[in-house]
Amino acid sequence: MMSIHVKMAWRNIWRNPRRTVLTVSAIAFACLVLIFMLSFQFGSYETMINAAVKIQTGHFKIQHKQFQENHNIRKTIVHPDAVAGILDKTPGIAAYTFRSRAFSIVSSEDRTYGALVIGIDPDKESRTSTLPDLIREGEYLSQTDTDKALIGRLLARNLKVTTGDEVTLLGQGRDGSVAAAVVTIKGIYSSGQDDFDRAGLHIPLAYFQQVYTMSGQVHNVVAIVQSLDRVAEIKQQVQARVQTLETGNSLIVRDWSKIMPGLKQAISMDLVSGLIFWLLLIIVVAFSILNTFLMAVFERTREFGVMMAIGTAPSRLMKILLTESLFMTVVGMGAGIVLGIFVTLYFQTRGIDIGGAGELLNQYGITGRIYPKLSVLSTAIGPAMVFVITFLAALYPAVKVRRLNPVEAMYFA
Amino acid sequence: MNIVEATHITKTFQQGDIAVQALKDVSLSIEKGGFVALAGPSGSGKTTLLNIIGGLDTPDSGSIVLDGNAFEEMSRSQLADLRLHKVGFVFQAYNLIPVLSALENVEYVMLLQGVPEKERHDRARSILDDVGLENRYHRRPRELSGGQQQRVAVARAIVSSPSIVLADEPTANLDSETGKGLLEIMKDMNHRKNVTFVFSTHDRMVMDYARRLIRIRDGQVDDDVTKNA
Amino acid sequence: MHCQLAWRNIWRNPRRTAVILTAIIIGVWTMLMVTALMRGVSNGMVKNAVSTLTGEIQIHAQGYRSDPVIEHSMTDIQTVENTLTDVLPEKAVYAFRIRVNAIASNARHSGGLTLVGIVPDTESQVSFIGPEAMRAGRYLDETDKNGILIGEATANKFDTEVGKKLVLMSQDTADEMASRAFRITGIYTAEMSSTEKQFAFVHMDTARDMLKLPDGISEVCILLPDGENLDRTASELRASLGEGFAVHTWREILSAITAYLELFDGFMMLWYVVTFIAMGFGIINTTLMSVFERMREFGVLKALGMKPWWIVRGVLTESVFLLLLGSAAGDLLSIVTVGVLAATGIDLSSLAAGAEFAGLSRIIYPSLTVTDVGMANLVVCLLGVVVCVYPAVKAARFTPVEAMAHT
Repeated sequence: MMSIHVKMAWRNIWRNPRRTVLTVSAIAFACLVLIFMLSFQFGSYETMINAAVKIQTGHFKIQHKQFQENHNIRKTIVHPDAVAGILDKTPGIAAYTFRSRAFSIVSSEDRTYGALVIGIDPDKESRTSTLPDLIREGEYLSQTDTDKALIGRLLARNLKVTTGDEVTLLGQGRDGSVAAAVVTIKGIYSSGQDDFDRAGLHIPLAYFQQVYTMSGQVHNVVAIVQSLDRVAEIKQQVQARVQTLETGNSLIVRDWSKIMPGLKQAISMDLVSGLIFWLLLIIVVAFSILNTFLMAVFERTREFGVMMAIGTAPSRLMKILLTESLFMTVVGMGAGIVLGIFVTLYFQTRGIDIGGAGELLNQYGITGRIYPKLSVLSTAIGPAMVFVITFLAALYPAVKVRRLNPVEAMYFA
Repeated sequence: MNIVEATHITKTFQQGDIAVQALKDVSLSIEKGGFVALAGPSGSGKTTLLNIIGGLDTPDSGSIVLDGNAFEEMSRSQLADLRLHKVGFVFQAYNLIPVLSALENVEYVMLLQGVPEKERHDRARSILDDVGLENRYHRRPRELSGGQQQRVAVARAIVSSPSIVLADEPTANLDSETGKGLLEIMKDMNHRKNVTFVFSTHDRMVMDYARRLIRIRDGQVDDDVTKNA
Repeated sequence: MHCQLAWRNIWRNPRRTAVILTAIIIGVWTMLMVTALMRGVSNGMVKNAVSTLTGEIQIHAQGYRSDPVIEHSMTDIQTVENTLTDVLPEKAVYAFRIRVNAIASNARHSGGLTLVGIVPDTESQVSFIGPEAMRAGRYLDETDKNGILIGEATANKFDTEVGKKLVLMSQDTADEMASRAFRITGIYTAEMSSTEKQFAFVHMDTARDMLKLPDGISEVCILLPDGENLDRTASELRASLGEGFAVHTWREILSAITAYLELFDGFMMLWYVVTFIAMGFGIINTTLMSVFERMREFGVLKALGMKPWWIVRGVLTESVFLLLLGSAAGDLLSIVTVGVLAATGIDLSSLAAGAEFAGLSRIIYPSLTVTDVGMANLVVCLLGVVVCVYPAVKAARFTPVEAMAHT
């Protein structure tokens, strides 16, 4: 059976339905805004991470320790197949690919620029990164291609080349010899991220190994796991197994947050500043609510006097009042969560047009629309914050009631 | 045997800049099973005296002993506990808890006392039957007339068999017919259950019903008459 | 009389008035603090970008922006200089640059960067590079024909230090690869490590010599005195320079920042409205309560023949007083808070990489404009009055009989 105090609290909040509805709406509104905004933030983070991961870094990378420090072409993974063997046996890995890279002088007929030449395995690459989808002109590399290249839109513009044109690569091979080649542009890609589109050109890995005398070695093994949440765990496993390899001690496994600390920090910064905004918003709501709670208590001072006169202990009165505010909070939170989920899901399927901010957000890998992503976390954080702060707001009038003197309450209210 | 022993009670209120002496050295005792009226014009101090006897208010000086408990030595929560078990209150108005039904209002006190649910139900029903509200168990206060509300209040005050029921102008908001009915009920309870009743009133009828009439004027006992039964 | 009555009415219940004022003050403060922070962020971004090398106005030869090579240089410097003297206000400063992509290499490493030929004295007036930016070594002077300044990040990448050699290669005017060895004169630090990675500075004469460009420049970078109209100056320059030149303001050059600034105004309005809704519920509730408490009074007034409109007006006047009072106090509190925060700035150094990724400067100085404050107050007062119409109309609708019966 419902305790009489719970029953009293429930009936009390409906004595003034208009006021209760307004208070509950304020709480619901706060929950709704928070759920939506946090889902929105989480959604854009995931888009940013995925964009960065899918275009460049992968969820994690295996490379020679020193290669990471100074990109020295000699610091390679000597037995890529052994690493591949480990990845094949690790559950949860969606795809992986090999890459090699060397800084080279790239010349077209008119222009010369310094750029990165990256060797990719066309098939494996297409499972690991979004590069094939980014081709805007020409075609993606096929597995049998040799002296063909994909080039970033901005580098192509700088070099004044288009598909079918030839460019000369001039660099240094792994053995210190001069590496030189002439490749034909097969495709031009555009990711929207200027840094990436300006940085370099991609040629088939086998051809790269031949030109840069890599003798079958590579610089990076880039892996994608099935879900972002499992990156840390899978990275750990791979790390442990890689250590057992013959050359394992020289290798290092780094996940996206280590490779791009800026992205990780930018996300935490955005999240923290977001949370501060939302906290301020909830405090504003809390003041609206505090006002209602206080008024409700003042109105009923006489009633509290009678209750105390017939022997209700002050602590019990406080409990009743806290139960009342708890009811309002819970009802408001419930409504807010339902509405928040509903609104978020709606936009999660439709996406939000980012309009004029497009060019800006392109640089962070966000293109076209942002899709909020509803999760347990994004649904829970906001209402939890609301709950704590509303409770604190309710505590004040409840404590005030404790100090009430029954005679004053009954006769002088 | 006396249920209340009040000795040398004084109480002063601050009303703005003026200090009003509500009680000036009042001493009185009330016998067990009494049916006593404290009479006097408004502002005479009778309500204050009643509140002090019930442990709601504390005197500036003097001592109160209620059923063997000396108030001076008790804390606020001990006093609340004492009121719960030994004192029943009936007020002029705003008496019942508006969100509870008649039955729940009566049960509420027993709930605070920790009476088991079954017993609570039975006692509340039987006491409501006693005050003639057998068909009104589930009405909320606002669905009851003023007289019916006061009968619920009386039922609530006596349901836990207190040592004393203090009633502050219980008939003031009622017409005389209803007031009479209420007094009959209280008189009946007084007879049957030997509950002590103390009223504060300026209603002629209440004074007529009382077996002892204490007149208060300007914070002092002016007259104290015990009628013969 | 009517206002006096409203004023007295709001002080009939000082406790309630205090609570509602607190709610409005916190609301306004929240609105303005968030705006001030974001304003600080965007100011920092602009300042950062402008001082990096952008300046406020840039002049290039036609075609340079899409193909930044030495052959797209401005060779008629005299015309440019004359125009600048004619058009620019007296206190404006400008610097000439040569700016081309180059490949740098030393024994350990090679990589691409941007080679900037500068006139050391004038350059330090328009951009961040100058004696203060030096972490090691010293700034260039007229005698440093073989000196180069590189950023700290570049120095780390090339594993080099002051006094060591660095070879630069770039395409010269004859489309040949020109290459030249420089000695590192100084290592500079910049707000962002991407700046440090990208730019290497040499003396203008050296750059010309290396690139075989007898008297041309790639770029003019201009800073205007405060309060000067940017767009007007730019269009005047455009008009008098004529064909063959391209004049751009920083807004056009930093299109991403411009987009951010536009986004910012929209966000600010949205934030104001969301915050208002949060406090709006409280405002309606409190006003409703005060109206219901005075139901009897309104009944009496109506019985005495007061027109409903007067009651509406009375209630709304009270709300306006509360809103104005709350907004004013909120403004004051915000201005003080912003003042205190702006004195030291909010240091994001511990999150430098994140700040850089997001394009922020390392220290944020919150700031507010008159428009920000005005908009916030407008939203609060306007919407505040709108939501109070409901309780006001409610008050006007009490019939005398039901009002009197209400206890």
